[in-house]
Amino acid sequence: MRNSNEIIDDIANKEYEFGFTTDIEMDIAPVGLNEDTIRFISAKKQEPEWLLEWRLKGFAAFKKMKFPNWQHFKMPELDLQKLSYYAAPKEKKKLNSLDEVDPELLATFDKLGISLKEQKVLAGVAVDVVFDSVSVATTYRAKLEELGIIFCSFGEAVKHHPELVKKYLGTVVPHSDNIFAALNAAVFSDGSFVYIPKGVRSPMELSTYFRINAENTGQFERTLIIADESAYVSYLEGCTAPKRDENQLHAAVVELVALDHGEIKYSTVQNWYPGDKDGNGGIFNFVTKRGICKGNSSKISWTQVETGSAITWKYPSVILQGDNSEGEFYSVAVTRNKQIADTGTKIYHLGKNTRSRIISKGISAGHSDNTYRGLVQVGPRAANARNYTQCDSLLIGDRCGAHTFPYIESRNSTATVEHEATTSKIGEDQIFYLNQRGIETEKAVALIVNGYAKEVLNQLPMEFAVEAQKLLSITLEGSVG
Amino acid sequence: MTSDKSFFDFISNGLPGPELREDADNAILPARQLAFSRFRALGLPSVKTEEWRYTNIQRFLKDSFSLAQEEGTITAEQLKTVNTKIPQLDSYTAVLVNGRLQIALSKLPAEGKITISKLSDAANNTQLQLWFDKHPHLQQQPFAALNAALFADGLFIEAGQNASLDKPLHIIHIYTTAENAFIQPRHLLVLHKGATLEIVESSVGMNETAIAFVNSVTEIILEENAELWHYNLQSSEKNSRHIYHTSTVQKADSRYHHFNFTLPSAELTRNNLSVALTGSNTETNLHGLYLATDEQHVDNHTFVDHLVPNCNSNELYKGVLLDNSNGVFTGKIHVHQDAQKTNAFQQNNNLLMSEKASINSQPQLEIYADDVKCSHGFTVGRFSEESLFYLRSRGIGEEAAKTLLVNAFAFDITDQVHIPALQDFLSEKIRKYVSGAINN
Repeated sequence: MRNSNEIIDDIANKEYEFGFTTDIEMDIAPVGLNEDTIRFISAKKQEPEWLLEWRLKGFAAFKKMKFPNWQHFKMPELDLQKLSYYAAPKEKKKLNSLDEVDPELLATFDKLGISLKEQKVLAGVAVDVVFDSVSVATTYRAKLEELGIIFCSFGEAVKHHPELVKKYLGTVVPHSDNIFAALNAAVFSDGSFVYIPKGVRSPMELSTYFRINAENTGQFERTLIIADESAYVSYLEGCTAPKRDENQLHAAVVELVALDHGEIKYSTVQNWYPGDKDGNGGIFNFVTKRGICKGNSSKISWTQVETGSAITWKYPSVILQGDNSEGEFYSVAVTRNKQIADTGTKIYHLGKNTRSRIISKGISAGHSDNTYRGLVQVGPRAANARNYTQCDSLLIGDRCGAHTFPYIESRNSTATVEHEATTSKIGEDQIFYLNQRGIETEKAVALIVNGYAKEVLNQLPMEFAVEAQKLLSITLEGSVG
Repeated sequence: MTSDKSFFDFISNGLPGPELREDADNAILPARQLAFSRFRALGLPSVKTEEWRYTNIQRFLKDSFSLAQEEGTITAEQLKTVNTKIPQLDSYTAVLVNGRLQIALSKLPAEGKITISKLSDAANNTQLQLWFDKHPHLQQQPFAALNAALFADGLFIEAGQNASLDKPLHIIHIYTTAENAFIQPRHLLVLHKGATLEIVESSVGMNETAIAFVNSVTEIILEENAELWHYNLQSSEKNSRHIYHTSTVQKADSRYHHFNFTLPSAELTRNNLSVALTGSNTETNLHGLYLATDEQHVDNHTFVDHLVPNCNSNELYKGVLLDNSNGVFTGKIHVHQDAQKTNAFQQNNNLLMSEKASINSQPQLEIYADDVKCSHGFTVGRFSEESLFYLRSRGIGEEAAKTLLVNAFAFDITDQVHIPALQDFLSEKIRKYVSGAINN
C-alpha cells in the first residue's frame, strides 16, 4: 500500500482530466465594456427595444457598484474591460437532429463522456446544449411541446414568448441585485428558458450542459424557469470546461419562479477548470441563483455538487413568500490545491408555515479554503416557520481551511430554527476499521467520503448521480491526512 | 476642559482628551497616544461594519455625552441604599464609583500575595507596563482603543504565585453622574503561576435622568496553571448603555471560567469577550445567560482564538427574550494551523417569548488545522406546548409553569455556577422577570 503522503501528492498534482480546447470559429464582440458593447450584443441577437432598455438599466446599476469586500478570500484582480462580451459559434443553421451538429462539437462531448447520443439513450433526458453562449441543439422539443412545456434558449424565448419573459425577467434577481448580477443583466449572452404550464408534470429531466470555450470570454448565462400552478420540473445543469491558463469569469444568473403548488428541483454539477496546483488559471464562478416560492404550498429545491473552479462564490437562495411553501438546499463542495469555495444559501421565510432544510457538506484538501456562508431569515409574518440546517466540514491535510459563517435572524416567536455544524478530519478509527477488513486506504477514503456526501448525492436525479460520484472519486479518492 | 463637549463634537474635532494632556508624566502615555490614533484610524462603527451589523451603535451615541468622567462620590449611607447586595453571598468587596476604587467603602482582603489597587496607583508596576493594551483582540476594536486613550481609572489586581483567597471577591461598579456621561473604566487582572481567584462583578447605576454610557475594558492574564472563576452580572438601570470588553490571555495549563449574566434593564449591553489561548493544555468555559425585557438590546460577541495545540474550549450561551427585546449572538472559534488536537464547542440557544422579540445569531467556525473536533449549534424556538400542557394538567398555574420552564432552560448555565448564593440569586431574578413579563 502506498503511504498517505504519496497519495495526497498524487491527488494534489492530478492534471485536470477534461482540459482541451475545441477549435470552432467564433463570432466575438470587440473587447471592452461600454454601452456600445451592450447595443452590439442586443443587435446581434435581434432583441426587442424593451430588452435593450433593461440591459442598459443593468449597465447603469453596474457602473454605480463596487466589488464587495466581505467574502472570505482575496478578490482576484478583474479587469472587466479586457473581456470580450459575446462569443457565439458561427454555424447558425437550424438543426433537426444530432447528425447536423458540428462533428468537432460532438467529439468534445464524447471526450467528456457525456455525449448527446448517450444522453438521448439515457431515458428521458432532453438536452439543450449551450456551447459557449448560444444553443446549437435542442432535443426532445417536440415531445415537450405536446404538453405545452417551453424549453428553449433564452434568445428564442424572447422571440417567441416575449410576454412570459417580460413578466418574469428580473423579478427574482433584479438588474441591480449585486455587481455581478448587474453585469449579467447588461451583457447576458444566452441561457435557458423553461416554462411548465398549469398542472403539468415534466415527464423527463430537463438538462443543459454548459461549456466555456472561447478565450477571454466571460460567460454570462441567464436562466429563467417558471413552474406555473401545480407544475413540476426537475432541471439539471452540468459543467466542465477546457483547460486554460488565463482566468475566466463566469457570472451567470438563474431565476426560478414557483407558483401555487408548483415545484422546481434544480441540480448542478460543476466541474470547471480549477487552475493548476499553484493556483494559476481556473474559472471564477460568481453566480447569482435565486428562486421564489411565490405561490402557496410551492417548493424549490437546490442541489449542487461543486468540485471545480478556482473560486466558487455563490449562494443559491429561496424566498419563501407563499404560505406553506418549502425550500431546500443540498450541497457538496470539494476544494483542493489552491481552490476557494465560499458558498451556501439564503432562505427568507416570509409566509406562514414555511419550511426549509439546509444540508451542506464541505471537503477541503491541499491548500484550499472552503467556506459555508448562509442566511436564514424569519420575517415577522412567518408564523410557525421551521428551519433545520446542518453543515459539516471535512479536512484532509493540515494546510487547508474549513469555515462556517451562518447568519440567523428570527423575528417571529413561533418560528423554530436549528443550526448545527461540525468540523473534523476523516476518522482514523474508520480508516483502521476498513483497512482491517482488507480495504486499502485509498478506497477506504473514497468510501468514507462518499458516505459523508451521500445525504446530498441522494438528492440528485439518477442520471446525474453517476457523474457526480465519478467526479467525487476523481477529486478525492485516496486523500487521507 | 472639554466637559461641555459632546461625544460627536469630540470625535469630529479630533481633539486630544483631557487625560491625554494631564497624564503627561504617566508611563503609559505613549500607549494612550497610540491607542487614540488607532481609534481615529478605525473610526466609529456603523451597521455596515461587519462586527456591528446587528447593533446600530450610532443610535445610542446620538445624545450628547460629557467626557469629563467626574469623580462621583457616594457615602457609606448612600451605598446602603444602592441595590448591590447578593443575599447570602459571603465575600470580600471592592466598591468602584465611576471606575475609581473606594477603599473606605470596600472590604478588601488583608494584604498578602494579592494586590488590589487603583490602576492609577499601579502606573509604574511592571505587569501593567507589560500588558497594558497589548491584547491582540483589542487592536481592532474601536471602543477599546477609545478606552485606552481616555480612561480615567480602574482596578488593578495582581495575584502572586500560588495565591488564593478564602472567599470570592465581589466587585461592585457604581455609576453616578449628574449629566449624560461617557465613562471609561479600565481594569487589569494578572494571575501568576498557580494562582486561583473567584470574582463576581456587578454594576448598578444611581442616575435618575442622566444617561451613563459605560465603555469598559478588562484585560486578564492567566499565567501557567492559574485558574479564574469570573462571574459578570450585568443589570444596570434602564437608561444606561454598556460596552464591556473582556480580553483574556491564557498560558499553558490555565483554566478560565467566565459567566455573563445579562439581566434587565440597561437599554444597550454589548459584550466583546475574547480569549487568546497562547499555551497548551488549557481549559476555557464561556457561559452566558441573557434575559432581556422591554426594549433591551443585548449583543454578545465572543471570540476564542486557538493558537496552540491541545486546548479545550467550551461555550454555551442561552437567551430568553421577552417584550420588544432584541438579542444578538456572534461567536467565533478560530483554530490556527498549528493548533492541532483542538476541541472547541459552541452552542447558542434562544427562547423567544414575545411576538415582538427578535434574535440575530452568527455562530462561526474558522478552522485551519485538520486534527480537530469543532462544532457549533444554534436554536431558536418557543416553549414546547406539550411541556406547558403537562405542567398545567398537574394543576400548576400558567405563570408558575412558564417560570419553571424558563428556569429549566437556564439551568444548564446556572448549574455551572459554583457559588450557591449566586445560583439562588439568579433563579430568583429569572422568576421575577419572567412572571413580571407574563403579567404585563
